[in-house]
Amino acid sequence: MPENKLKPDQWINAYGDALYSYTLARINDTGIAEDLVQETFLSAWKARDSYKGEASEKSWLFTICKNKIIDHYRKKARDIVQPMAETSATDQFFDSEEHWTVEDKPTDWAMDYASKMDNKEFYKILNGCKKKLQEIQQAVFSMKYMEDLDAAEICKALGITSSNYWVLIHRAKLQLRTCLEKNWINLK
Amino acid sequence: MISCKKATYLVSKKEEKKLSWIERWQLRAHLAMCSLCRKFEMQSGFIGRNAKHLHEHLHATLSPEAKEKIKAVLKNQ
Repeated sequence: MPENKLKPDQWINAYGDALYSYTLARINDTGIAEDLVQETFLSAWKARDSYKGEASEKSWLFTICKNKIIDHYRKKARDIVQPMAETSATDQFFDSEEHWTVEDKPTDWAMDYASKMDNKEFYKILNGCKKKLQEIQQAVFSMKYMEDLDAAEICKALGITSSNYWVLIHRAKLQLRTCLEKNWINLK
Repeated sequence: MISCKKATYLVSKKEEKKLSWIERWQLRAHLAMCSLCRKFEMQSGFIGRNAKHLHEHLHATLSPEAKEKIKAVLKNQ
């Protein structure tokens, strides 16, 4: 079996931009994203002797980067977790009977929901919509849908209860859906 | 009959297979009657499945200065 070898002198040119895009999709702040990429390379450099060559250099670096991102959320959690107001945020979508309001009810999207989306415009709008979420919603959304962590892991990392978690996911989904529908003209 | 607000809340729980049997039954009954929440369920799934590909389409680049800075940090190790 061919063994993977590290080539640290080529890391930044080969993976710098890819790791930066990966981080920026999860952490909107360019300065923090740059710092996390730097920390990723630094940790990788320090751990280079423990690299066994089982994973490719690229996926090894991405794993380190992913852990940096989750660590960042964990450290930030205390600042961004706010007391939950059960009302307000989701209520804009529903009337007093808790049924969809006329303005926010889902309409048909002109697409195959089962297909993998490959449209650049879609991701641009998704990214813009994600930035409008509260920081804690973004953290929960990224950890769940981008990092594939399960509810228990996310609650533990952020120090939230499972009912907080479900409320945050619910709000994030409602807001993203509405924002996509309002901003993406190709849907109609 | 549960409300649309409750039904959409349960949709995300369903995606993670965390519904109790009563919630599963409530959601199924609601979705059978409500085309708006059926749309929500499909769109919610669609957003969730595609979100992980976001970075592949961002094409963000580190500035040359940032790259030089990182190279310098590594060199000093």
